[in-house]
Formats: sequence, C-alpha cells, structure tokens
Amino acid sequence: MEIINTENLNKIYIRYEKEEGLKGSIKSLFNRKKIAKSAIENLSLTIEEGEFVGLIGPNGAGKTTLMKMLTGIIAPTSGHVSVLGYVPSELKNAYKKQFSIVMGQKSQLFQDISAADTFLLLKEIYNIPEAEYRKSLAYFIALFDLPDYLNVPVRTLSLGERMKMELVAALLHNPKILFLDEPTIGLDAMAQKQIRGFLKEVNQKRGTTILLTSHYMDDIKSLCDRCIVINHGKKIYDGSLENLFDRYQTCKTITVSFDEPVSYHTDFSIDMVEENPYKISFMADRKDVRSIVQDIMHTYEVNDISIEEEDIGNVVERIYTDKGGDFQ
Amino acid sequence: MKKYYEAAKIMFKTQLVYRFDVITGVVFSVFKIFLATVLWGAVFEKKGIVSGFTFHTMLTYYLITSFISQLDQSAAVGWQVSSDIRNGRFSKYMIRPIGIFRYFASQSAGSTAFLLFFNIFAAGVWIFLFQIDFTIISDLNLILAACIMIILGLLFMVQLHYFIGILAFKILDVTALMMMKENIVQFLTGALIPLALLPRAWVHAMTYFPFYYISYLPTMLLLGRNSGECVSGIMILVLWNIAFGIINTFTYKHLKSIYDGVGI
Repeated sequence: MEIINTENLNKIYIRYEKEEGLKGSIKSLFNRKKIAKSAIENLSLTIEEGEFVGLIGPNGAGKTTLMKMLTGIIAPTSGHVSVLGYVPSELKNAYKKQFSIVMGQKSQLFQDISAADTFLLLKEIYNIPEAEYRKSLAYFIALFDLPDYLNVPVRTLSLGERMKMELVAALLHNPKILFLDEPTIGLDAMAQKQIRGFLKEVNQKRGTTILLTSHYMDDIKSLCDRCIVINHGKKIYDGSLENLFDRYQTCKTITVSFDEPVSYHTDFSIDMVEENPYKISFMADRKDVRSIVQDIMHTYEVNDISIEEEDIGNVVERIYTDKGGDFQ
Repeated sequence: MKKYYEAAKIMFKTQLVYRFDVITGVVFSVFKIFLATVLWGAVFEKKGIVSGFTFHTMLTYYLITSFISQLDQSAAVGWQVSSDIRNGRFSKYMIRPIGIFRYFASQSAGSTAFLLFFNIFAAGVWIFLFQIDFTIISDLNLILAACIMIILGLLFMVQLHYFIGILAFKILDVTALMMMKENIVQFLTGALIPLALLPRAWVHAMTYFPFYYISYLPTMLLLGRNSGECVSGIMILVLWNIAFGIINTFTYKHLKSIYDGVGI
C-alpha cells in the first residue's frame, strides 16, 4: 500500500542577502536584497508501506527540506504531498500520532532529567495505554541493553547512548512511519552498527516504514533496498541500491605485494594510489581487473594480492557529479 | 488533560535537579525582604503613615507582591519559544499531538508550582525573622477572589509572553521586545512602587489594562482594600485572556507558514 506520495513538489525559500562588512550591515538595515532559492524542484515519489528507503544527496541537496515537508513542519510552495492520506502541513493530530522524526543533531529529550521521565511525558502525549507502554519499553530496553542509563540525566549520556534514547522516544507510540535525519552522525563504528541493527529489526518486525537520510553510505548499504538520490533539489535516481552501485561502482582497488623489488608497468589504464618496489596499490576499471591480475601473476613473483570494491566515498562523489547520468 | 499535567510535572522535576539553585532562591528571597525592611524603615522613620500605608502594611504589601511576582515564570516561555523558533527547534512541538500554547502554559504552571512550594517556606521565614505584623483579611470570599485574580493574571502573562515568543517567526530576535515589556510590566503591576503612590488619573487609566490586576489588586484585596474593584477586576482579566487567546491563535496560524525550521 502506498503511504507517501508527492507529485511535482516544489519548495522555494526566501533569503535576504547582505553585502560584506560594516557598511553592508548598515545598508541592509534600510535595504535588504531578497533572494528566492529553490530547495526542491518538481519532485515526485511514492513510498510503499513497510519499505526502508535511503535518501542521499550532498549537503544542501534538499533532503532535509523534503523531510520537513513530509512531516508538515513546512508547507510546499507548490505541488501535491500526501502521507498516510493526510496533507502534512495541515498538522492534524491524527496524522501526528502516526509518524515520528529523529534528527541526529537535534535532541527531543529533556537534558536535565532522565530519559525515563521524558518517556512518561510521551506516553501521555501519545495516549499510550499503560500495558502497551510497559511492553514497548521492555522491548526496547532489551534490544538496546538500556537499563544502566535509563534513569540518569540525559546530558550525562554519551552521543551513542543519547541517540538510542532518541530512537526509543520516537518509537514508543509505534508510529507507522519513521523519518530519520542523520541518526548516526558523529557516532563511533560500534554505536552505528548497534543502531543499524535496531532499525533493521524495527523495520522488519514492526513493519515500520522508514525514510533515512545519511551521509554514511554504510548506513544506506546495510539497511535500504531502495535509494533515492537528490541533488540541487531534483531527484536524480530512484531505484534499487544494487543497480545504483552497478552503474557507479566502476572501479576496483588492486593491492599487490612482491617478494622482490619490481618496477611495475602496464598498458591498462590505472590510477596508482601507492607505489614502492615491494608493494603497489591502484584503481582499475572493473572490466580490466581480470586481465590485469592475470598479467601480474604471469609477469611477477607475487607474495600477496587483494581485490577490493572501490571506496564508497568515490562512488558517491561520482553519483552526485554525474547528476544521474543514464538514470535521468 | 493528562499530557499537560505530565508536562507541568516535568518542569517541576527539572527545577528540583539543581539543588544549589533551590537553596539560593530561598536565601535570595529572604535577603530581598531584608533590603526592603531597611529601605522602608528609613522612609517611615519620620512619618508613621505614607499614602495610608503603615510600615507593617507596606512590608506586607511588599511581601505579597514579591511572592506573586516570583510565581510568574512566564518570561521563560517567551525566551524559550523565540529561541526554539530561531534555532529551528520549534519543529519538535509542531509535530507532536499537543496544543502548543497549552503545553507551554503547563510547563510554566509546573515552574510556578515549584516556586509556590518553596516560596511559602521562604515567606514563613521572612515573617518570622523580621517579626512582620502580617495581617491579611479573613474574608474567605475576598481571599478566593484574590486567588482567582492571581491565577487569571498568571495565565495572561503566559499568553503575553507566548505572543512575544511567536513573533520570532517574523522578527527572529525578540530581545528588545522582551526588555521593553519587562520594564513596563514591572512598573504597571506595582512591583516597583505601590500604584497608590501614583496620581489618581494614572491609576484609573491602568484599571483598563490587565497589569493592574496581576499583583497589585490581589495584594490590595488581601490587605482589605479596593474590594469594590473585585468583580470588575476578574471580568477585565477574563476579557484580556480571551482577547489574547484569539490573538495568539490567529498570530500562530498566520506566522507558522513563514517558518523554515532552519537548523534542523
């Protein structure tokens, strides 16, 4: 069932420009230059119930603006948006009870008191029956191993612990849709992994539809089957993550170490990353990898060889630079 | 209603976190009455009565108005709302199934309840330490009317500060407005000097504004004065509350459309 639908969505922000320096500041007191900046342009998409969709794009691409429009925080300048059959910007309570949003850089918890106290407030705000509240809390406590810091002031928690609490707070009322804006930002690898496992379980066992924005491609790769790429407010790709990487992960990294010093030469086009007499590391086109490896094995005394997928950061950069390429 | 009760409780709990603040609050309250005793003692040294106030009725007046003024924690609502709007944090209230004004009013009530609890203790210390002949009227109807007036007055102040707070949707920084309001309200509520010391025409003009009824009139009622203004006072406060309720609803609906939630 389709639960999110947008058609030709547009958002234009009005900004005021000021010339630099004191003179510019004084001038802007009397005369401000108004600038219209398009954040989202003719964006259409649909999301089915139960999907886990990744929303990626460089900074300023329009991801957060899209999230804000889907949650009703801001209204679109034009176009149509419907979530769970509601127009989000009308901000009806019946709609608000059915979704949650977690922002990695903005806490929804009271900092001076314990997370448990904030949960009690949310229980009343979302009118969660006592038995259901206790059951949900017990489930999340077990999943995240939380009891140790449930009753300490939030401001004393580490970033990872706080983010777990934010997620629990967002999910206590069992929302149908969870919007996640950079939930793993600033977290260490361990905490990121835990949060990914948690989100996967929530999506699979509770059937919560999740829309995730993240700059960490590991988040997107390990969680989402479908990915939407936005750049300059436009959707440049919408489809399976597998297809996206088939298209853009064009290179592999080959690392070879030798028993004796060598001077490596090849006729294939490669991009050398590291080179010394005993070791070379380079990037090569995927289609050439087989031939290159055969050539090395045939020509040199190889001690060890490894072939790795291209660094994900390069792939992302290529996607954004290509502006969709063949997928447009 | 339970969600608003819980919101009030959260603020009560938050106030309890910082024990040093609690103790200093009580000590500072006692210190203030000490200064008032010295000041009014000097004024009353040569004159037994000033504008119908004896030294002890003046101290009682000061005690009650200070008490009511301290209960008013609504300025925090204005600061919080404006800062949340400016920093993009206001979104968290917009997406929750709550009445935003009622939520902030409940939080303010939580802070007030906390101060009521500790200020009653501090007031007891004041009266005992300074041997104040604390004589308020025994007419329960007037005491009840004064209490209703205080509650309506506090509600009005929350509405006023919420209004200033949501103006941040348009003007972003409401510091100047808050400061102007602070000075005017301090004067008009009689928190600086009893309004009875001002010219009669001034006092009459002020009776049409809510500030007169926030701490001054309830205090005078408790001192057994101005009882004739009791009903009209309550009615004026009710009307101002209704008016600001409408203004706030309209202003919020109109201004939230220009909110960008920048910073999220």
